[in-house]
Amino acid sequence: MFHPKKPSTMNSHDRPMCVQGDSGLVLTTDPKPRLRWTVELHERFVDAVTQLGGPDKATPKTIMRVMGVKGLTLYHLKSHLQKFRLGKQPHKEFSDHSIKDASALELQRSTASSSGMTGRTMNEMQMEVQRRLHEQLEVQRHLQLRIEAQGKYMQTILEKACQTLAGENMASGSYKGIGNQGVHDISAMKDFGPALNFPSLQDLNLYGSEQLELQQNMERSSLDGLMPTNGNMCLGKKRPSPYGGSGKSPVIWSDDLRLHELGTAPPCLGPQDDPFKGDHEIQIAALSIDRGNDIDCVSDMYETKPILTGDAMGEKRFDNSAKLERPSPRRAPLSTDRMNPVTNTSAMPQGRNSPFGIRSERPVTIVFGWRRCLRNYLYWFQGKF
Amino acid sequence: MAMVVDDTIAGLDLSGYSSTTTTTTTTSSEDDHGCNWNDWLPVVDWDALSGGHDEFQDLIESMMGNNTELHQFNSSQLNKALSYERCNSMSPDFEKMTVDEETNGTEDFKGLRLVHLLMAAAEALTGTNKSRDLARVILVRLKELVSPNDGTNMERLAAYFTEALQSLLEGACGAHGKHMLGNGPHHRDHHHHPTDILAAFQLLQDMSPYVKFGQFTANQAILEAVAHDRRVHIVDYDIMEGIQWASLMQALVSRNDGPPAPHLRITAISRGGSGRRSIGTIQETGRRLIAFAASIGQPFSFHQCRLDSDETFRPSAVKLIRGEALVINCMLHLPHFSYRSPDSIASFLSGAKTLNPRLVTLVEEEMGPKGEGGFVGQFMDSLHHYSAVYDSLEAGFPMQGQARALVERVFLGPRISGSLARIYRSRCEDEGYSWGQWLGAVGFNPVSISFANHCQAKLLLGLFNDGYRVEELANNKLVLGWKSRRLLSASIWTSSNSDF
Repeated sequence: MFHPKKPSTMNSHDRPMCVQGDSGLVLTTDPKPRLRWTVELHERFVDAVTQLGGPDKATPKTIMRVMGVKGLTLYHLKSHLQKFRLGKQPHKEFSDHSIKDASALELQRSTASSSGMTGRTMNEMQMEVQRRLHEQLEVQRHLQLRIEAQGKYMQTILEKACQTLAGENMASGSYKGIGNQGVHDISAMKDFGPALNFPSLQDLNLYGSEQLELQQNMERSSLDGLMPTNGNMCLGKKRPSPYGGSGKSPVIWSDDLRLHELGTAPPCLGPQDDPFKGDHEIQIAALSIDRGNDIDCVSDMYETKPILTGDAMGEKRFDNSAKLERPSPRRAPLSTDRMNPVTNTSAMPQGRNSPFGIRSERPVTIVFGWRRCLRNYLYWFQGKF
Repeated sequence: MAMVVDDTIAGLDLSGYSSTTTTTTTTSSEDDHGCNWNDWLPVVDWDALSGGHDEFQDLIESMMGNNTELHQFNSSQLNKALSYERCNSMSPDFEKMTVDEETNGTEDFKGLRLVHLLMAAAEALTGTNKSRDLARVILVRLKELVSPNDGTNMERLAAYFTEALQSLLEGACGAHGKHMLGNGPHHRDHHHHPTDILAAFQLLQDMSPYVKFGQFTANQAILEAVAHDRRVHIVDYDIMEGIQWASLMQALVSRNDGPPAPHLRITAISRGGSGRRSIGTIQETGRRLIAFAASIGQPFSFHQCRLDSDETFRPSAVKLIRGEALVINCMLHLPHFSYRSPDSIASFLSGAKTLNPRLVTLVEEEMGPKGEGGFVGQFMDSLHHYSAVYDSLEAGFPMQGQARALVERVFLGPRISGSLARIYRSRCEDEGYSWGQWLGAVGFNPVSISFANHCQAKLLLGLFNDGYRVEELANNKLVLGWKSRRLLSASIWTSSNSDF
């Protein structure tokens, strides 16, 4: 699945912009004009590519002819086509991003239709964004209540089971081993379910501040500024500033839960596991900013880079966790992993040929051990090669 | 670019394997055929086979006289896979990478070795050149290498797969296989204490989103479908402990737009016999649900509908009341559910169609396309599927070896042997259906997943490890995956024409 280029301009409001209403093209007056690939524009692009017999047959020149959009240059098409081809490859795991961004996309879709500045006013867009925000907040609140209800219910089951078992033990006095272990587990777990605490008020504040941010963006009346914000807000998945900055987990776990982490703790305890982690997204934002002034074909590398790296790192993390019986499994390794892609990309210009230089430490080959191999065989069996 | 490098590494893994592992000969043990299996390392050897002699070939020859086809079959297959990986290895890093090979961790090699041994065993059991003897020998070797209770994910997983293959082998060759029974761990007795089951269920809930994902997605769809109804009737194919309905009741009680909490009626489908689905168990579930509903002020009633002895569903056995919104809830093969025969499911779903339900919620396992690659292909698909499940569970409970082992023993082990047995039995049939497709084929219409529902799934997964992901397919289906593997899907359907 293709996903449109992350709007790359946090800083674009200081550039003069010209917008072409009919094509949905948003251009700056830069000598090397930047271009937002709106959904509409991308659709036109895809149509053209299909018409020309697929991404491998189509060339930038032919696409330009077929699309016939004024202001679109060979340069734009070259890089977009390149990305498009990459995105078409079957087992390249773009899915990571496209999934995470799915609803960001959705929101973008709903707002992007107005990026041509036709019909809708900013005000309407703002309302749309707020509506989505509200909806998400509602969903979050409901989810919390639902999980709690389930936990409560589970507790009644467990209590009953404990009673039954107690009776059984009294009766036979000999039920040992596995059964007892079960009891142990149950009693250890009893506290969890209902003890989950979800963000409520704190989060409201955070949302509030974000809306403020949004409004500022609106005042600048910079679409470029608005769009990424939309994307970022949609699911709360990527909110570098509120959570990343303060390092605060939006899920507040009670202390006794933390204690349980050594026992039969639920998977979601560590602060690392906050639901709103935004590693990839943050990288993209960072990259985009870097990219701001320097665009040429190489930028395609940059653009796809975080995804690939993210994937590779994901794999690495994956295998690491399987490999090491580390006492505190997700703190240290995770945080380094999160850093890596960034470091990696900053090292990119020198090392295009070995973008994975950072991975040439020993674990490299392990990364693609049996899991990858298994997958390859599977593809082979399914005739995907 | 990155992909090329990846594949280089994978290719190197294999080629590097020979250099490392040929020197790791451990204790040598002679098997029935007088071959030293500790020296037999499938990856290397198949690779090397194209070159000529090794023990594997000798073994085959000693076992089968003139059967050289087998090894050609195997080696050509693997060489194809290997050459795929090789053809991508044009990276400038190639030389540098090879240096790293010598000192690699043995663990992953073992994983690779297990994958290949399992594949070889599956192939020997069912491939074009069947050889039970070869399969048996490979299984003996596998059993030496693995145990379901300790070791890495792959080792534990391989233990269950080995066991499953073993029982297929025994089933296939009857009395001949019996002498193998004394070897290795046997967990064919899948009878677990109810407390274990409950504990494992609770652990599964806590360590993974599998259970909640399906239930919450279904519930959200139900809530949206009945937003303005006064009476709601849910027919539940597999109610188990009834935990799904606690959260639904809570949501019904607290819905603030629309009318006050509707009356909820649940009809649970029950079967004769004993166990988790017996009438007694379901009665208990009913009592528990009634108590829960009372505690939160949800008007509620509970019914049972018994299936016929052959698990056929008679729609007329469901009592319907005019004016209530009918919902069919069908949770299939969640990790903690036991197997349901396709006939039973089909009978239920097609029967349900005649009731003209407002909504059908379906949760099912996502398996690879059937009918491709034969038994071995599906075997590998299962292996891939369950390795993803194992990995996800490990990520959920990294330190809880015991807890994980309990879940694996109680739910996954039996699941694996059951599903392999079915694949084995049905390998000639070509039923490429998921139940979702089936529903579409019998005339149900897809209902779109709402933004809120999608959003909820994401927020839910956010509470777990970030290897989980949710994907929306075909507008009416959310898929839960681990890394790149799809594991479980929830889809929603209706029998009426309008997408309300």
